[in-house]
Amino acid sequence: MATQTATQTYGWGAVPRRPGRGRRLLRTASQHPAGVFGLGVLVVFVFAGVFGPSLAPHNPEELSVGSPLAGPSWSHPFGLNQNGQDIFSRIIAGARISLTISAAAIFIGASLGSFLGILAGYFGRWIDYIVQRSGEAFAAFPSLVLYFMLRAALGPGMKAIIAAIAIGALFGGNRVLRGATIIERNQVYVEAARAMGCSEWRIFMRHVIPNVLPLVIVLMSGALGAAILAESALAFLGLGVEEASWGRDMSGTNLSIARTGYWHVVVFPGLAISLVVLGANLLGDSLRDIWDPRLRR
Amino acid sequence: MRQYALRRLAYLPLIMLVVSLVTFFTLRLPWATDPVLQYVNQTTTVEQEEVIRRELGLDKPMLQQFAIWMGEVARGDLGETFRSNQPVWDEIQRRLPVNIEILVLSVAFSTVFGVAFGVITAVKQNSMIDYGFRVFAVFGQSIPDFFLLILLIVLPSIWWNYSPPVGGHVSFFEDPWENLRLYVPPTLLLGVGGAATMMRLTRSTLLEVFRQDYMRTARAKGLAGRNVVLDHGLRNSLIPIVTLIGGHVTALFFGSLILEQIFSINGLGQFFLVSSITADFPVIQFLVLYTALLVMLMNLAVDLSYALIDPRVKYT
Repeated sequence: MATQTATQTYGWGAVPRRPGRGRRLLRTASQHPAGVFGLGVLVVFVFAGVFGPSLAPHNPEELSVGSPLAGPSWSHPFGLNQNGQDIFSRIIAGARISLTISAAAIFIGASLGSFLGILAGYFGRWIDYIVQRSGEAFAAFPSLVLYFMLRAALGPGMKAIIAAIAIGALFGGNRVLRGATIIERNQVYVEAARAMGCSEWRIFMRHVIPNVLPLVIVLMSGALGAAILAESALAFLGLGVEEASWGRDMSGTNLSIARTGYWHVVVFPGLAISLVVLGANLLGDSLRDIWDPRLRR
Repeated sequence: MRQYALRRLAYLPLIMLVVSLVTFFTLRLPWATDPVLQYVNQTTTVEQEEVIRRELGLDKPMLQQFAIWMGEVARGDLGETFRSNQPVWDEIQRRLPVNIEILVLSVAFSTVFGVAFGVITAVKQNSMIDYGFRVFAVFGQSIPDFFLLILLIVLPSIWWNYSPPVGGHVSFFEDPWENLRLYVPPTLLLGVGGAATMMRLTRSTLLEVFRQDYMRTARAKGLAGRNVVLDHGLRNSLIPIVTLIGGHVTALFFGSLILEQIFSINGLGQFFLVSSITADFPVIQFLVLYTALLVMLMNLAVDLSYALIDPRVKYT
């Protein structure tokens, strides 16, 4: 506890010491229980996605591990589908697909989109014009139409899905960041940097970007939930990837069987999607409240 | 205002031309799905394949194909589908009423409930009602719409051994009661996500407006609480609300397809889905143009409505 003695030797008496990093984190966490819950949910799902194959009690594709369509029981907590596949194992396997696609799409889309937004906000003029107008043009395209076009261009598979969701995220955040950058551009520290002879590019890269970066993280976490929803909806329509995925397991024969009373076949994958999206949304809301209360919606 | 609207309308054909160019050539990229492959099997000879290609009009150079298509569209002829050789417009016209109804009902539900709950939660900020609705909204935003629709089918079948009507379309003008019985429950659920977003937006916008000076003035001059909230508060929050309604309409192209899929309704979304999988070019090209036109007109209407909502907004 070297720091403790160091503060005591100051002799300022009543000046309270700033609590340590860990304590501050704990305090923030205790003020946002919903965000902690969301983070916890996401961690569990990411864990399932990473270690899925070794965690799952059965191979998700293995047929007849029990009697087909059996309801939830101790050995098969979520029951079995009509092929006798273990639904719990399939949900764990689905976590990998769902999270990989949505995380990749958000990472590509949001980081590129944020960069464009900051660029437009800082440099203005024709760059701003181009970014703004193309954003409006893409917003005019219903996401479904966009996806069908991309599917035609890239062929079925993961690439088209990631590209479609990424383009959605690309122009989702850039308006907000543009606005934030315009405020940041007129701050005194930018003027100071300019007075010291920094080039415009250096001011942009070293001063403006780090100051709006928390906002990028806020936007990314907020967009994650929407991306997972989009991925599952595409999979549900049979437009997703071939592997086991939550959306796909709720469509086709599974759906028609569920209509005859075997509810567990579709309800558990649906709950998995809802839970992970809820987690992402709660975490996103909390991060936004912590870092940028202006964005509160 | 009129000039502004006319100028925006003048841009429309130009944008439509760009959209059609992009659509047309994206579909014909070398690595894209070849529609001819849909109609061949193992016994088809190369010559037969060429005949099919010629029948579909795909043997000509691309630019010539584009010129032919543009000429047809200009004359109001939308061509025939590859799959069934039916005129594209007939196929679409038959399915249009379903989609219009789904769109109108869902947008109406999400707007009415979203704005109403938003006003209630803003007025009763930090009360139990407020917390209750906000928790509800977070859940509403997180549950996939197709899951809600599936639950609508599955839950009654477990609880009451009753399955809501699936499939078939009854025209509203023939039998309004039966039509609403068919469409109201699913469109209500399709609107849940939109209502949740709308509620949160209305609430936060209203809370911001409540802090304005003119709200205090309105109260100070003795206006009834209801008038203050609705005439002064809500009126000044309308711009983001109207913008979000526009966004919901665009998003519902997806929602409509999901509803059609689950309830086995043969609508436009379903038609688009099948056509895109089988690379039915005439249908895809037309539907892309059609949705682009629709969305652009709607965005124009949204932008123009700003001037009606807020007299300070002036278009020149």
